[in-house]
Formats: sequence, C-alpha cells, structure tokens
Amino acid sequence: MEDKDVTEDIPKNVSRRNFIKGVVASGAVVSTTGYLWRSSALHGQQASAPGSVERLITLNVNGQDRRVDVLKQETLATTLRYKLGLTGTKLGCDRAECGACTVLVDDVPRYACSVLTHTVRGRKIATIEGLAAADGTLHPVQQGVIDEQGFQCAFCMSGFIMATVGYLKTNPNPTRTELAHGISGNLCRCQDYDKILTAMMCGAENMRKKA
Amino acid sequence: MAVIHDVMPAFELFQPGSISDAVALLNRYGASAWVMAGGLDSFDWLKDRIKRPSVVVDLSQVQGLRGIKAANGGLEIGAGTTLTELARDPQVRDNFGLLAEAAELVASPQIRNQGTIGGNVSQDTRCWYYRAGWSCYRAGGNICYADSPTAINREHAILDADRCVAVNPSDTAPALVALDAQMVIQSASGERIVNAEDYFIGPGVDITRMTVLAPGELLKAIRIPPTWAGAQFYFEKVRDRNVWDFPLLNVAAAAKYSGENIAGIRVVINAAAARPLRLHAVEAAVIGKPRNEETATLAGQLAIQGAQALRYNGYKIPLMRNLVKRAIRGGSGTWTS
Amino acid sequence: MAAPKLVGQNYTVPDLVAKVTGKSKYAEDFRAEGMIFAKLLLSPLPHARVTRLDTTAAMAMPGVKAILTFDDLPKPADSINDNGQVIFANIDGEVPLTNEPVYQGQPILAVAAVDEVTAADAIEKIQIDFEPLPFVVDPLVSLRPGGPNARTKGNYWFIPPPAPAPPGGGQAQNPPRPDIKELKYADGELAEAKDGQLPILSTAPETWAYGDLEAGFKEAALVLDETYVSPDTSHQTLETRTCMAYWQNGKLHIYTGTQSTVQTVGGVARWVGIPPENVVVVSEYTGGGFGSKITGGISLIIPALLAKKANAPVMMRISREEEHYIGRARPGVRSRMKVGFTKEGRITALDMFSVSDNGPFERQGDCNNTGVIASLAYQPKAMRFRGISVLTNTPPRGPQSQPGGTQSHIVMEPVIAKAARKLGIDQVAIRRLNSPEGKALFGPPAGPKAVRQYVTSAFIKQALDKGAQMFRWDERKLESGKRKGSKVRGVGVAVSTYSAGSVGFDGLFVIKPDGMLYVQSGIGNHGTGSVSDCHRVSAELLGVPWDKVVVTSGDTSKNLPWTCPSGGSQTIHAMTRAAHAAGMDAKKKLQEIAAKDLGGRPEDYDVAGERVARKGGGPGMTLAKAAQRAVELGGAYDGHELPKDINRFTRTSATALVGQGLMGVAKDNYPHDGQSRSFVAGFAEVEIDVETGKYHILDYLAVADVGTVIHPRNLGGQILGRSMLGIGHAIGQKWVYDQHYGVALARRFHHNKPPTILDAPQHMDWAAVELPDPETPTGARGIGEPPVGAGACAVLNAISDALGDEIFRRAPVTLDMILTALEAGRPTTEPLTAHI
Repeated sequence: MEDKDVTEDIPKNVSRRNFIKGVVASGAVVSTTGYLWRSSALHGQQASAPGSVERLITLNVNGQDRRVDVLKQETLATTLRYKLGLTGTKLGCDRAECGACTVLVDDVPRYACSVLTHTVRGRKIATIEGLAAADGTLHPVQQGVIDEQGFQCAFCMSGFIMATVGYLKTNPNPTRTELAHGISGNLCRCQDYDKILTAMMCGAENMRKKA
Repeated sequence: MAVIHDVMPAFELFQPGSISDAVALLNRYGASAWVMAGGLDSFDWLKDRIKRPSVVVDLSQVQGLRGIKAANGGLEIGAGTTLTELARDPQVRDNFGLLAEAAELVASPQIRNQGTIGGNVSQDTRCWYYRAGWSCYRAGGNICYADSPTAINREHAILDADRCVAVNPSDTAPALVALDAQMVIQSASGERIVNAEDYFIGPGVDITRMTVLAPGELLKAIRIPPTWAGAQFYFEKVRDRNVWDFPLLNVAAAAKYSGENIAGIRVVINAAAARPLRLHAVEAAVIGKPRNEETATLAGQLAIQGAQALRYNGYKIPLMRNLVKRAIRGGSGTWTS
Repeated sequence: MAAPKLVGQNYTVPDLVAKVTGKSKYAEDFRAEGMIFAKLLLSPLPHARVTRLDTTAAMAMPGVKAILTFDDLPKPADSINDNGQVIFANIDGEVPLTNEPVYQGQPILAVAAVDEVTAADAIEKIQIDFEPLPFVVDPLVSLRPGGPNARTKGNYWFIPPPAPAPPGGGQAQNPPRPDIKELKYADGELAEAKDGQLPILSTAPETWAYGDLEAGFKEAALVLDETYVSPDTSHQTLETRTCMAYWQNGKLHIYTGTQSTVQTVGGVARWVGIPPENVVVVSEYTGGGFGSKITGGISLIIPALLAKKANAPVMMRISREEEHYIGRARPGVRSRMKVGFTKEGRITALDMFSVSDNGPFERQGDCNNTGVIASLAYQPKAMRFRGISVLTNTPPRGPQSQPGGTQSHIVMEPVIAKAARKLGIDQVAIRRLNSPEGKALFGPPAGPKAVRQYVTSAFIKQALDKGAQMFRWDERKLESGKRKGSKVRGVGVAVSTYSAGSVGFDGLFVIKPDGMLYVQSGIGNHGTGSVSDCHRVSAELLGVPWDKVVVTSGDTSKNLPWTCPSGGSQTIHAMTRAAHAAGMDAKKKLQEIAAKDLGGRPEDYDVAGERVARKGGGPGMTLAKAAQRAVELGGAYDGHELPKDINRFTRTSATALVGQGLMGVAKDNYPHDGQSRSFVAGFAEVEIDVETGKYHILDYLAVADVGTVIHPRNLGGQILGRSMLGIGHAIGQKWVYDQHYGVALARRFHHNKPPTILDAPQHMDWAAVELPDPETPTGARGIGEPPVGAGACAVLNAISDALGDEIFRRAPVTLDMILTALEAGRPTTEPLTAHI
C-alpha cells in the first residue's frame, strides 16, 4: 500500500491548534461555509489512542493538494461534492450499487459514496473534472463520448467515464466483452448499454491512438 | 420500524496502522466497536441507521493485513487483500483458480476493488427482513419474518434452518471451504486457527452471528494448504443479474482423479443455508466412481436429501441438484460471467 | 426543395461537452448562500392515522431550523382552466405531507437543519404515534368480498359520466368530481379463480365495446382464454427527484429535474398556492424521467414550503429508498383475454378484462390503455373491454414510458404467440395480418356520435417486413427449440404502439443583427436531444447553419415559449410543428422585408444560405441585415405585434424579447387529421440453460415506424434505450411487498433488479422505415414509448418459442420460474399474487 503516513499528516512539530489557526488565516483550508456537516464529538478521550484521527486532512484531488475539514463518518462523494465543489461526481444511490459516483483512487475505480474520506488521505484521487487537459483538450475517453454520443440524461456518465479510464489502465486494448465486464459496476437507466459500450470502445481506441 | 433510513450517524473513527494497534482498540472497545474492512457491508447498516456503533475501527491503513505470500507449500492471504488483488494474483490463479473465479464473480468491479477477502467471508446475511431492521431472531427478537406463510423468501434457506432461514451470501466462502483453508484469528490474547469449514456457523450455534469471530477478534489471514493445488475445480454462481447480485446458489468443487475415477473431492454449496455446506455424503458417494453422467446424477440426488422448501424458494432444490450434478460432471459451460 | 442539411443528419448536441467534463448542473449541483438541508420522516406503516405528534425535542436541537407538517400546507383549491371550466380540487388526491399515510414510505413531515446529520438525528427525536388502519397491497385481495380497502372510503375511483353539453354550445360543463367508492367480486365470480385464471368482475367500472363480439367468436377457428400479469416497476431514474428551493423578492425559485421546464411552473404554483408568474423553474439537466418527472410533484413542494418557513434556501436530497416511495412506478396489470382467431390467424373477437394496481391516489390511465392499445395493435374486428384500477396501499403510480401500452403488450403478445403456434402460422405473419394500416380505427366509440378515433398513418407492416429481413427471421427460427447440451435457443417477435405527438404549441426565436438565430426552447432536457433537435427545423427553413444557432432553455426566467411536456412521445411531433410554424412566420417576414426594401412581391424572394434573395438570382440581403431592418420597421417584425392565438406564457416571453431582431413566433395551427401513433417491431433471440433456468439475450433488433427521421443518432438512442427499459420488464424488474405487513422488501437496486450492462442483449440494432407521416409538416412522429413493449415482448416470446407455452403466466420471467415450470411441466409460480 502506498500510504505510509497512516496516523496523522499534520507536521509533528506544530501544535495542532496553532496549525489550524494558521491555515484558516492563510485561507488554505477549503471553505465549508453553509455545507459543513456537524462533528461527532462523541468521545473526547480518543486523542491519545493509537489510530485516532484528526479532522483536518490533506487530499490529493486531480493532482492538487487540498486541505479540508472532514468528519469521521464523511464519505468521499460528500467531500468532493459539498466541500471541494466537484459536483461532476454524482450520487445515484449512495449504496455502492449504481456507480454514478465512481472516481479513481490511485488509478483504481471506487464508489466514492462508499469510501470514508479519511481512508484516502494522501492517495491520488481523480474525478471527472480532472480528466481534460488544462487547455480544455478532452481526455480520449471523453472524446469517445463526444464522437459516439452514447448517453442520454448523462447522470451516469461521469461514473462510466471514470470506470472506463480506470479499467483501461489495466487493459488498454480490451474486447467489447472485456470492457463490458470492466464497466459492469455502473448502471444506466436511459440507454441500451450497447451505445455506451461503443462510445467507451471508441475512447479506448482514442487512447491507443494518442499513446 | 424506522421512520428514516438515511444519513450515516456520527461515530468515533480509529485508523490503526498495525494489527497490534487494531487488536488493542478492539480489546478496549469490545462489543461497541465496529470493525470496518472494505466497508461495503458496514455502510449499508450504518447508512440505514440500524446498527449504531459509537466506535468504528477502520482497517484500511493496516499494512500487515494486505498481500498474498507463499507459505508452507500453499498460500497465506492477508484478510485485507482486495478481491481484485486476489482474482488477479498469479499464485492464486495458477494453483487455486477456484478462489480466483469465485472472487471475480463477487458483486461488481468497484466493490471487488475495495472489498476484502476477510470482509467477503465475514459479511452478514442479506435477508431483507433482517437487513431492514426488523426485530427477528437474528436481531435478538423472537420471530422469523421470512419463515411465515405470507413471507417472501425466494432467496432463503432450503437446508439447516433453525428458527432463522437466512443464508450466507458469500461467493468466496464455499471456495475456501472446498480448498480446506484455515482462518487465522487474532485477539489481544493471541492467535487461534480455525478450519474454514468451522469458521462459518449456523443459527443453531449462534443465531446472531455468521462466523465464530467474537468481539475483540480480528480475522487476520487465510491460509490455503497445498492439498488441492492444481486440482480440477468447478465454480458456478447462479444469480438473477449477471453482475452486482448475490448468489441464489453457488457451488464450489475441487477434485482429483485417478484415471477416470474420482480419487478425492470436496463439494460445497452456499446460499442454501446460513453457512456454506460441505456435502460430505456426496463426496463419500462419488469417490472411486467414474466421472460421468451417472455419477453426476447420483450426486445431484444425494445433495438435496433433506432439503425443505419455503413458499417461494422451491426452485433452489432442483437448482442445487443440477449445480452439484454439473460440479461432478465438470466441463465448461459456466454461465455466470 | 433542396436536400435537407440539418434534418435527418447526425450532429453533436450542444450540451455534450458540459456533460463529459462534469460541468453540467443537475438539481443537486446548485448551491445558494445560506442553504440548509431537509430530510423526511416517512410512514413506517402502509395505512395509519397520526394520533400524536410532538416535535418539541427535535425543534430544540441546535441547528434545526424548521419543521413542516401537514398543517402547514395550503388547502387544495379548485382551479379554472383555459376553457373556463372549474377543475375541482381532488380532496382525496396526493398531498405533499400527511397525517393519514396511505402507503409505507409516505412523507409525514420534513425537517430543515443546517446539515443532513442534524436533520436526520432530529427526525429520530420526533415523538409520533400511529393508529394502524386496514390496508391492502394486492388489488385482487381488495376485490375479494370483505377484502380490505386501501382508502377509508373504498377501493376505486368512481368518475361520474360527464354532463351532456348544453344545446347549441355555450359554456362547457365542469368535469365531474371524482369520488372513491367500494367494489368487490360477487361470491360466484371468485369460483373461477382456480387454475390461475383472473376472475371476471362483471361490474367493472371502466367498460366499452365495439363490433359484434358474439359473432366474432362464432367465426373463430380457435378461441383462447388466457391470463397474463405484468409487473409493477419503479421508474428508477438515475437522478433521484432532489430539489433545491428558495424565495427571493416574493418569487419562488425551484432547482429541479423535470421533463417540462415550462409546464412545471403551473403545477408548482397550484400546489404552493401562488400565481404562476411568481414561480421560476430552473432545470438545466434532468437525470432521466421516463414519465416520472413530467411536471414536478411533492418533492418540489416540500422544499418550496420549507424554504419559506425557514426563510432560507432548502436542499432536499432524495435518497434511493425514498425514490422507491415517492418516485412513481408503472401500475402492474393482470388481464384475462378471450381471443378468437380465424384459421389464418386474424383476430375476430377480443374480450379483455384488466385489473390494474392504482396505488393510493389519482386514477391512472394505464388500465383503460391496455384495452385501447390492444385495439390498435391487433385490430380485433370486435372487442369488449372491462377494467378496474384498484386502490392499494403501495407507492403512488404515474405514467411510465408507454403507460398502459407496455402492460397491454405484455399480456397480449404471449396470447398471439400461442395462437400462432396452435394454428401453425409464422409469428411475423400473424402479427402482419393483424396490424393496422392507413387511417386505422382504434379505441372505444366516443363523443355524441359514438365514433372511433383513427390514426394519422401506420406503417407497422413495413416495419415487420424490414425487421424480418434484417434479423434473418426465416433462417433463425429454424434453430428454435433445438437443444445443445443444456442450452436451447428461441426467437421472438412483437409489435408495439403508442401515442406519438400532440399539437398546438408555440415556437419562438429571434434572428438578431449579428446574423445568429436565437431559439427559445421550453423543452425539458433529459437527454433525448429534442431540446435542440426540434429547433433544427427552424434553422433548416431559414437556411441558417447550425453553428449560428443558439438555444436557450432550462430556466423559465429566460423567456421560453409554451411547450409540451416531454412525455408520451409528444415532443418531436409537437415541437417540430411549432418550430416549423415559427420558421414559416420568420420566412414570411423576411420575404416581406426584402420586398419592401428591394422591390417586387414577397413571394418573389427565397430564404436560403443566410440570405433572403430574389428567386433565380438578383438582389437580396443577409439575415443580419434583415434583422436590423426588422428592428427599424417594428410592428410584427420585431415582436411589437404578436399573433393573437399564442399562449399567454409565450406572449409574456415574446414581449420580453421585443425589439432585439426579427422575431419568429407562431402557434402550431397545422391541420392534423387523426391521432399520431408510432409503432415498433421488435425481434429477439435468447439462449436458455434448462438446468438453471438462466437465459441470455443474444440479439435484439427494433424497427420503428416513426415517420421522418429528424436526428438518427438520437432516434437510435430513444429506440434502443426504451427497448432496454422494456427488456427489464421481461427479465427481472419488479417490486416485492410483504402482504402481511404491507411494506416494501425490495428497497435496493439489487432487489428491484434494473438490468445491468451484462444483462443487456449481447448485440443490438435498430432501423426506421422512414415513411413520413402525412399529417404533420415535418413528417416526424415521436418514439419514446413504443419501443418499451416491443423490447419486453420480443424477449418473452423468444422464451416461449424456445421452451413452449407452459413456462410463464407473468412477467418478469426469472430463472426460478423457468426451472420450476420445466420440472413440473407447467407454470407453478403463483400466477396472480402481486409483488412477489
């Protein structure tokens, strides 16, 4: 596993309170005004226990380090959508069943609705917003969707695109059947899946052309 | 019944970095601690507000729970190894393909990327009465809602029911029983080793639990002995949807042959009872017999002896008969992926 | 006329880049300053009365801002429609919150708090006691003598016959006020229930007939008497019906997903009790509808009223489980059909009885539609329909793609398939023989002269022919029923039809002096593409290239015209007509301006290539110039004078756009003789494993009679997308209820079984017959509905083709049903019990 810093990522030579004050003052903490979920405050004694967890953590999202105040029970989808403003990650079921919230954690597709944000500290998180290049050039899989127009309402689309991007990292040249299995953790209610698969196969081909 | 089934309530979270820290936390908080591995079973309970632990011990940061290594001629698999890692591991695929195949058929890619082997075998039952928070036997009450004249019990047990008719939903569990795996359990007082076949328990033993794991205990690793390495395997999962569905039944078999005859075999069925059932009678009957349609038919008939249907799960009896028959007959034709 | 450059061509729809980059904003993606969150307290019981409600402890929690209960709701008020008729408020209809819940999961109250955890925790602190009331979740249980009623007053809607029109015209009579009454089987009628046949309720309230039924049965060489059952299925749009609402300067702003940006305004205004001009609906993207989000519902009203009470913007996220309760569903129907066939397979008589599960509220049209659609699709020479839509304590139903039509085909198609097998007739041939053509009659005799309606056109026979050829039907059917190991294959064909277009809506756009065409679109954006597709008709007429067209939509404060809801396959028909009308209005204005400035008569000028110019070469001007001249000329040209017949909604919008350029604005007044209906022929091949009952769909083809194709790629999306919705009905989608407790057991996707990518046919294809409908200027009809029934039934028919008729009596057909039927030699799954 990649994350060696398993307990706390606040520098040890800075007292916690001063550190929080510092980052709030400098504006480095993501604003949570209005959308802040209440803290648990169930136990006051845990600070000394092994494995105790601080709320203020660093997340690496789309290549950027973001300081964010995260509740213990908060899911990654909530953090992304309500704390970091990344609403391209959709909540379709919140129960790890539909895939609309699929993001990549260290290149691996995960249901963000069912990942505790605290478990992905220091991991590389990629969302739909991070796929296109800075100049707006679309990712080859995004371009595949433009080319083939495989979706209707598109509420499932970010999840399908992220699942495909993740799957292609393990198998860049899949057959239709293989890719169908690779993205089978995602539900669509509007379309027939056949066109989605065609769009994603086109994306895979775009990637190979680019590579 | 609850008036809201949404929004995960607050809890205190611990993320130990080592097995010893994890066990210390479990020891400290006892029954009030909830052990979270991949979390996919856990979130369902927590978000539904039915299970209300004050403390969650998240194992995701425990490096010592991850990975697959060769041990004693077989394998030792860390309980925190994901199902995807398991399904792709060359050692598993080459020698214990049965387990790789079972892992590959669990739920969906994203769940396999996160769900662990330890979680998959230790997960709770999916009985929809129990999971909705009804106060049934398994939840500490004194009724089984799934075993009433009007209950909808298409997914429930045909064998070994005892008050509760829920079934074990794991795909990897029967594969581990077939491979004669051993479960390594750690607690503050030390380590104990339990055969996979004994790890899973029915309602007659403890109606509120699916496994022998007690509060304070952690499933640390799973050891697979070399006994069945490279044997002939058969795994089939029958489910309604071809992805993201629990088994209506699944079957796992490992067999060795002496010429045309079956020299040794283990056959396990799951989702027929509250624990994976090793079919000892079938095994005994087919050993020494040729692997053919006649033996397969005999095995199928034997398998379902004593099976009892509820109102809506009668199909499981011929289905179990046919799956066992196919497991003995072997050959390709798995339909589940 | 030149070959069309836009109509019939593929193009990239304008909102696609926003969608692939995650920038498209659905309801839950909007934020407002000071936004708080709402959660619902849901009834745990299927029918009960709240006897005590104490919110003190919840209200006292830090962070709790407001609690909305039934007592805070405006009382239902009568309304007056555009014809001056009084529409009586339905006092037994659906309410946003209630003290007498009539289904488990019905919202009782809502809590707004600073965050969701606080709101949810507060709900658990509310003290609430219920007095349980009698309930029923199965319509047939309610129809039994002495059976429970879902509502205190009874178990079905009694709709009095409309008062006769006053002699010599005059003020139209008010529609009758519906009432709930009780109806049960007579004791003798139930005796028939044996063998899984649906007992006939001779007093069924919905009844009509045409032709000589008795003579039809006498003429028949084969008479079948069959019962089939279709499932209750939730719409399960991937986006739940989340809504954010706030009040600003006396106006209510609603952020939601809807199938009708424009017509949601009126619905919200009525529920909330404010004038429509004080409602702004923002719906830029809608995450699926299928009929469940046509004009909004209680999920909009609760946050609207809560935002007012809390004096803060309220976001009400709807959970997937809540979506099961309030998200609408298709009523399941069980039908008994006695059908007479000649030896050639022609249907001589159809006696159909349908029992529909209505849910607890307003009467759904599905039940009656099972008869109407059967009369159209299969053209029985004589027919009697009887039906009842029974109230149950299950979640509210609503129209779902092809409402009543899908159910009609699911119950009828297996009967046709069985008849063909008994008579030794090819499955395609028997459907071709019974299919409508030309201005075919359908439905009940209606109106004072008791005449039957007819369609504008029907080319289903051509669709069957084309499909049979593409699918290689004659070749493939030879493999039917042959076993290979434990596998057996079968092929199925089915026909399907539904309404495909309305009329009378408005088009509105402005050509500005920059030469661009600015289209105002009131069409809801749920991804079918009609929000841009329809307007290509205007651009085509005016010779404007697509990259010079800007479509404004998704926000009713942005001056949108009166538009049909995108439900019932209306849009491509209704709104291409409106776009055509507005286009012709602009063309006429351009010709007049050219004639004024350049001499000659208006008809001497052509509009093409972004110019209005003399026919055959000669002087002309650019559209940019003409737009500038329109502003200078004023009057009708720039919208200062508006057509008298446009809707007042359009009038308000057009007035706000006055003086910006040349305005195209018109109501669709084109003639329209008949009712627009589209048709689909579906073809499927399945492979079944007889040892497990498991089957896979190897191939699916849908051929549509949809008139002129406007946008092939989007048409293909609609045809196969809705086919997949139908296939879900065949292979697994369902509800599960415990009858003893009256509560939902299936609350998750893996319980309700919407199909996954691995359940979809391994290969899919579509085609259109491309014969224009003669009764609409663009030739195009809608297509959202008919693919559903075709998809469901082609698969069902393929299963019986492989295994014979004695396998299923109900859909979906799951592996347990197949396996037990094969074991027993007959269908053994309980034939009539609801929601198993």
